[in-house]
Amino acid sequence: MDGRVSLNQVAMRFGDFTAIQPTSLEIESGEFFSFLGPSGCGKTTLLNLISGFLTPSEGSVAIGGTDMTRVPVNRRPTAMIFQNLALFPLMSVYQNIEFGLEVRGIDRRERRRRADELLELVALVGSGDKPVVELSGGQKQRIAIARALAVEPRVLLLDEPLSALDLKLRQHMRTELKAIQRKTGITFIYITHDQGEALTMSDRVAVMSEGRIQQVADPMTLYRQPATDFVANFVGETNCFPGCVTVVAGEMVTLEAGLALPLIGRSSSPLKPGDEATLYVRPEQWQVGGINETHLPLLGVVRSEHFEGAWLTLEIALDQGPTVRAHVPHAGAGVGLDDQLAVGDVCRLDHSPHQAIVLPGAKVEASREEAVDVAATA
Amino acid sequence: MWQQLRNRFGLPLTMAIVSLLGIWLIAMVLLPQWQMVDYSFHPSLLPAERGGVKDVWSLTNYATFFNNDIHLAIFFKTIWSSVLVTGLTLIVSYPLAYYLAKVATPGQAALCLLLLIIPFWINEILRTFAWYIIFAFRGPLNELLFALGLIDRPIRFLSGDLGVLVGMVYAYILFMVFPLYNAIESLDANQIRAARDLGAGWGRTHRRIVIPHAKPGIATGCIMTFMLAAGSYAVPALLGSPGSRWFTQIIYNWFFEGGDWNQGAAYAFLLLVLCIVFVTVIMRVFKVGLGDIAK
Repeated sequence: MDGRVSLNQVAMRFGDFTAIQPTSLEIESGEFFSFLGPSGCGKTTLLNLISGFLTPSEGSVAIGGTDMTRVPVNRRPTAMIFQNLALFPLMSVYQNIEFGLEVRGIDRRERRRRADELLELVALVGSGDKPVVELSGGQKQRIAIARALAVEPRVLLLDEPLSALDLKLRQHMRTELKAIQRKTGITFIYITHDQGEALTMSDRVAVMSEGRIQQVADPMTLYRQPATDFVANFVGETNCFPGCVTVVAGEMVTLEAGLALPLIGRSSSPLKPGDEATLYVRPEQWQVGGINETHLPLLGVVRSEHFEGAWLTLEIALDQGPTVRAHVPHAGAGVGLDDQLAVGDVCRLDHSPHQAIVLPGAKVEASREEAVDVAATA
Repeated sequence: MWQQLRNRFGLPLTMAIVSLLGIWLIAMVLLPQWQMVDYSFHPSLLPAERGGVKDVWSLTNYATFFNNDIHLAIFFKTIWSSVLVTGLTLIVSYPLAYYLAKVATPGQAALCLLLLIIPFWINEILRTFAWYIIFAFRGPLNELLFALGLIDRPIRFLSGDLGVLVGMVYAYILFMVFPLYNAIESLDANQIRAARDLGAGWGRTHRRIVIPHAKPGIATGCIMTFMLAAGSYAVPALLGSPGSRWFTQIIYNWFFEGGDWNQGAAYAFLLLVLCIVFVTVIMRVFKVGLGDIAK
């Protein structure tokens, strides 16, 4: 069963509005692939192009190596799980699951046998005769999955199907979706604006913005080595330092960002001294401590402290610089360096240059709060 | 209900509204109907004989109907033709309502609705008369068919039932389109998409998804169209021939040609009973309640 999906220079326009810029992409058979992006980035349009609800203005979609341009939606080897699930409310659970089989002219006994199998897969054995309107949110979710799997699609398309569920159920369904994908070996294409969903379930993620794919990578790479400014900001939290390159030594780039010290980070783009660039540090990459150390660190004043359960979030106003966010282990964990830190304290900040990413361009305007005279406070 | 109205409008206004409604219901609906029923069970008498010995309850007026083969035939023909009109109107209206509700852009839908409504600004009799002209022996339709080479001599459209059927479908189409449109419009577009995505062709998508959802609208449209068709007078009078008489024409004749109001009242009451039976049957067939139809 070949569930490869290829987009060949696919573009979509609605009048003057370009929803999808020309895009090429290969999704492997049996892959759990996510499109991640804010609303309006074109990810749903892309899903509709694959399912056949829309015809691309340019380019073509192929599934399993077969061009789909002339294949109508009801003949494509795809099945969709809709955001609102779109279960048929006037039908029972069995009738819903068997709908696609009935369409294919499969006889009643075989339909029922397969429906029972699917109910077992989604752990809802025995509820086949219930009207779907009587099911709970999570149960409806499972029936939608069973209904889509009943037609034995090569590609399952999921349009933010978990967004209506509460947090606990959503997390549970993530695990379950991933398990079902593993068990069936079907290509899953998942649309979401929730990075948690995309990062936890996917083999690969395509981050989209304004009709363009910004980066395609596995979740770890996406987080550690964002390719563009948009990805760095959209996936996970980050602190940006726009500035000017002063020294380039192999991968390591030194950046003058208007702080007391120059910052050093890693870059995979060809930068040279004098270029504008931005350095990104994730909140958990900071090492925060007291100022009784020997080398010269960045200094800042702790502005606020938020207890987040597993960690503390500190907002630290840098000396003559922006306010940054840092995640630090709290005192209870025993390894905290912030034991003595309280709001108003001066602290030092360090980051590992190998973890910080430098990307070309300095579009991001960091919100500079008024410079804090660290020396005076000390 | 009373409490809700009172909280909203205050006591004096509530009393005014309720009593106006009461007066309207009693004076305009219940009393005239009762008068009709009462008439139908009394013989037609001269003014001087009313209240006298001859003024007794009797079933003579109904017996007249059941003993008159021609009137019985026309009665059943009216039922059958009205059912036919209802069916034809449904067939014509369903694609139109689906297009308006699910396919057309808002602009196209607005234009289309306007085009449908504008003719209804003209009186029903004039609209029917327009069809009379179109269908005339030397009228534009015959001319057109002749010019296209489809016929070699004019057809007498107005001598059979065809004129009446077409005229009625046209006259009552809005009463079918709007309930259908409302019903289909409320269907989640993803339901249609889901059915298509699961492999259903258009026929099955309509049969299994759209039509079951639109059932209350279909029932409402059918009930309204049937009652209007069965009670229609202008269309059969203008577009019909002596061979295609409607039951309403017989009622009209009893009242205004025969001058026998009592006999006419009996016939009118029979038509009312027929309509009530039809509504009940349709509601049973479509498994909808009065509440669904009122929506």
